[in-house]
Amino acid sequence: MQPEIEREVIRLAKSGDPRSYEPLVRAYEGPGFRLAVGMLGSVDEARDALQDAFIKAWQSLHRFDITRPFGPWFFQILRNQCRDVIRSRQSRERHEVRDEQIDVLPAGASSDPRRLHERSEASLILWKSLNTLGDEHREILVLKELQGFRYSEIANILEIPEGTVASRLYHARNALREALVATDAEYP
Amino acid sequence: MTNNVSHENLMRYLDGEASPEERAQIDAAVASSTELQRELVIFRSMKNDLHAMSFGLANDQSVWGAVHRRITRRLGWIMLIAGFAISGVYGSYLYFSSAIDAWEKLATAAIGLGILFLLGTVIYERRKEWRTDPYRNVYR
Repeated sequence: MQPEIEREVIRLAKSGDPRSYEPLVRAYEGPGFRLAVGMLGSVDEARDALQDAFIKAWQSLHRFDITRPFGPWFFQILRNQCRDVIRSRQSRERHEVRDEQIDVLPAGASSDPRRLHERSEASLILWKSLNTLGDEHREILVLKELQGFRYSEIANILEIPEGTVASRLYHARNALREALVATDAEYP
Repeated sequence: MTNNVSHENLMRYLDGEASPEERAQIDAAVASSTELQRELVIFRSMKNDLHAMSFGLANDQSVWGAVHRRITRRLGWIMLIAGFAISGVYGSYLYFSSAIDAWEKLATAAIGLGILFLLGTVIYERRKEWRTDPYRNVYR
């Protein structure tokens, strides 16, 4: 969406017209979905988180600075929403009796990617390894590789300096490499 | 740091964020180091595979319908509560300023207040119960 059009749409949405919010949702739900699936590893949870993030953004729209782009602000909200889901999932898992046969991957993570897209064996191993990483590592890899954001955009979303983005990416990629080694699978 | 190339610069090089001078320096370092070459091959491969995955992660169901329903539902609740409040206050004013006997007004007020009090305590108890429930995040 062109920045001028985006600003106009936000201005209308800020005035309280829910229909004018639709172009924003349509424009950002695709990249938002990729970010949420990457962070949560589950399509259903990702869709719920995306919905909740759009609602939160709508409710906070009056605080949004119209001179800034909507994307980074919205992705920040979505990222926080995904983190809340992960925290809630962890607290849920603490209360559940864990079945030893249950996969360590989050629910749906092992089957969703397969259902979404027929991938090569290597990609599937990579996906599973990605889901074993810590939140911080997975988050930055998702922003860079699945979303294709530039360092400046990632820095904006994560509120860190650009130099830290490069350093975090190195550690995340190394962690992913180690996770791949741990699977004993041949990669690449 | 690998062969005088810092990890950060290596990442910038891999992601196409390095300046032309940095690229030239890293190109030279890569040409003379098999360790760097191996590292780059693995990182590139992971990068390409992850990037390819993003095309499969398409959202085939728009969330707009659900978002729109939730946005307008809130508006509906606000209007409903506001409508009830205004009607209640106005209705009470009309009732209590009418020529009906005082004892009848008192009895009606007691019934109304009693219902409100009971409703309030039920809501308070349910909320308290929910807040202290250790299993509130557990899907049953």
